[in-house]
Amino acid sequence: MDALVHFLPQVWFVILALFLFLYVMLDGFDLGVGILSLTSSDEERRSLLMTSLGNIWDANETWLVLMGGALFGAFPLAYGTILSALYIPIFMMIFGLIFRAVAFEFREHSTRKLLWNFAFGAGSFLAALGQGFALGSVIEGIAVDEAGHFIGSTWDWLDWRSLLVTLTLIQGYVLIGSTYLILKTEGDLQKTHFRTAKIAAITTLIGAILITIATPIFYQAARNRLFTPPLVYIFAVIPVLGVVLVGLLLRSLNREEEATPFIWTILIFLLTFIGLGLIVFPYIIPTQITIYQAAAAPSALVFMLTFIGVLIPIMLFYNIYNYVVFRGKVAGSTYGE
Amino acid sequence: MDVALDSVVLSRMQFALTAIFHMLWPVLTTGMAIYLVIVEGLWLKTRNPDYYRHARFWSKLYVLNFGIGVASGLPMEFQFGTNWAPFSEAVGDFFGSILGFEGAMAFMLEAGFLGIMLFGWGRVHPVIHYLATIMVAFGANLSTFWILVANSWLQSPTGGEMVNGKFIVSDYFQAIANPFMVKSVSHMFFATLETSLFVIGGISAWYILNNRQQAFFSQSLKIVLAAAVAVTPLQIYIGHLSAEQVAHYQPTKLAAMEAKWETSPAGQPADWSLLAIPDEATQTNKWEITIPNGLGYILEFKKNLSEPVLGLREWPTSDRPRMVGLIYYSFRIMSGIGFFLAGLMLWSILQWLLGNLSTEKIGQQKWLLRTWIFAAPLGYIAVESGWIVRCVGRQPWTLYGQIRTADAASQLPASNVLTSLTLFAVVYSILFVATLYFGSRIIRHGPNLELPIPGLDNQPALETEPATFVPDQRPLEAQQ
Repeated sequence: MDALVHFLPQVWFVILALFLFLYVMLDGFDLGVGILSLTSSDEERRSLLMTSLGNIWDANETWLVLMGGALFGAFPLAYGTILSALYIPIFMMIFGLIFRAVAFEFREHSTRKLLWNFAFGAGSFLAALGQGFALGSVIEGIAVDEAGHFIGSTWDWLDWRSLLVTLTLIQGYVLIGSTYLILKTEGDLQKTHFRTAKIAAITTLIGAILITIATPIFYQAARNRLFTPPLVYIFAVIPVLGVVLVGLLLRSLNREEEATPFIWTILIFLLTFIGLGLIVFPYIIPTQITIYQAAAAPSALVFMLTFIGVLIPIMLFYNIYNYVVFRGKVAGSTYGE
Repeated sequence: MDVALDSVVLSRMQFALTAIFHMLWPVLTTGMAIYLVIVEGLWLKTRNPDYYRHARFWSKLYVLNFGIGVASGLPMEFQFGTNWAPFSEAVGDFFGSILGFEGAMAFMLEAGFLGIMLFGWGRVHPVIHYLATIMVAFGANLSTFWILVANSWLQSPTGGEMVNGKFIVSDYFQAIANPFMVKSVSHMFFATLETSLFVIGGISAWYILNNRQQAFFSQSLKIVLAAAVAVTPLQIYIGHLSAEQVAHYQPTKLAAMEAKWETSPAGQPADWSLLAIPDEATQTNKWEITIPNGLGYILEFKKNLSEPVLGLREWPTSDRPRMVGLIYYSFRIMSGIGFFLAGLMLWSILQWLLGNLSTEKIGQQKWLLRTWIFAAPLGYIAVESGWIVRCVGRQPWTLYGQIRTADAASQLPASNVLTSLTLFAVVYSILFVATLYFGSRIIRHGPNLELPIPGLDNQPALETEPATFVPDQRPLEAQQ
């Protein structure tokens, strides 16, 4: 029984981390492309940018919906507390994603493309902003009472540390968006994004270094954990690996390779994720409520695992198939006709 | 109404607004997805290029609606946490799991195959494409299933009990198969079908009436009509069964639906109120037209009631729904539309049997076609009214008989909720107008009847004409 009480929440923590990682990686490049489109000067280019996402943005966004549902079912307390505490950033994200989604539908039929281009870019930016503040606040910690209910105030999420996380996340999205576009485009458009990718790689690295330094200085709880074995060894390795990966990324960009920059970026995201996961674990509301306190009843976790767990490989399979069908460079304004 | 604008009221308004708006889009796309499966299937079977062009034309409207549905569905997923945190914590074990299932089984399936359905025509084999279309339709309808499972459970919670403010589930499958489930899922499934049938039919009628591609749109009108023969009467019957289950499990809702203040005892006939002005202050109807002895016939198809029908006065005000007039009229609007659409179906079938719907003659059926155009939005109105009856009538409970709505809401600063509510109102109004505008633009533009047909293995991929070389006649400078 004890094994179940610990094992099941851990399994769900890993599943949630997987959904979140897939979301941040996949919709990350969607949002990054959106943010990049704000700087793009001509209509043909923006059209190509949006076409490169046309068939996949919706499936990518669905990982977020999935994560919301899974968090609700597996950790109902955390779902309620975190979302109500982060009311403003969550609705920033929601409105951003709404603008982004309708831009795809309306732009195609509109004669005023500029308006919907702006909705696409600004929506992506707003969504990234909301996600950054939400992520920053969760890592920083949310004020809760012993029962895990939110007792802080409505603007708690806004301070310089969450702002730092937000800016870094936006840089990360621009980076993965750029490397995705390197993969999907050719010619001048591709050249532009070799350049944006280099800039974003460096700004992301600076942000990550600042966060890495700030975390042990400003968070008592994180400091104690970080400087105690075995985590201290892991945290010695992760920044080093991170710098190596950024170096490899920059080298591949300088050599103008097409596929490898995207792969290095994914590995950088993955490494960051593992680092964050290790800092947060075993908390779901750091550093107050553990996954064991917030978890649904073991029966609920088993019930969900039976249905959702089996589906994870299937979902991955048809999502990958979708990418395989639409592999190759984007050309023209539509895939279909 | 003398409600203070506290965050509970505002959260309710926000949920109502976002749900009412969101529903407009999937109610069309889930039904229309089945229609797309039918026309694409007909194309693969008959190789008649018209069916292919139907699939392409209607999928334009489909994807417009789908996109707005995705956009407006997102707040639904997160609002339980932001605005209804205590509720989420209390029922997450079951309710959250079901929303998770909806995401993993239904929504992802739909989203994962949509790209292939829309853009994959030239990239995958027609059979794979057809499979993708089927998966989109299956995912959409599975979504209806899980959402209705979750909502039915709120209406009739079973499979566990409340312990210290948390719903402890003892049997998940009993909770899924709650008393409301089968009838509610069926009622909504047929509602999506019926709404999309009359939208497709109404648009087809508009083209025929305007002498545009009459032969082409007679095809879709006839497919719709053939389906409506089964759907419209069945929906009325399922609606009746749903009212029966409300009578059995939620007597306060039934009393509000009928604006019934006084109890009618068993063994006697009772009047049925056709139209009334309910007055909550005096707990009576100020004015009323009744059908003598009608209630027994409506509920049980006989004169005398076999069980008493309780009036609203049986409960203290705090234990029964408010806004009786809204519930009462929403119910009448929904049922009225159900009968109207069935009547339209009968009229059209009669004309079909008389041979008046042939391509040559159908254009003369002006009033029939106008009625179809008029009927296009009615399905939406019926669906929205039905959900108002279902969820306003469930009050004051969120989880019927267990969790009160007032206890379910997050403690939020009212200003936060007021801001998000205002933003939703503004943004959704713009989206509503824009969608109508772009939808009508797609319709005015019409189908592309010159679309090349994607290659099938057993027919020539392209019909080619011998090429003739036309020398460039322009002056030399212009050629460069």
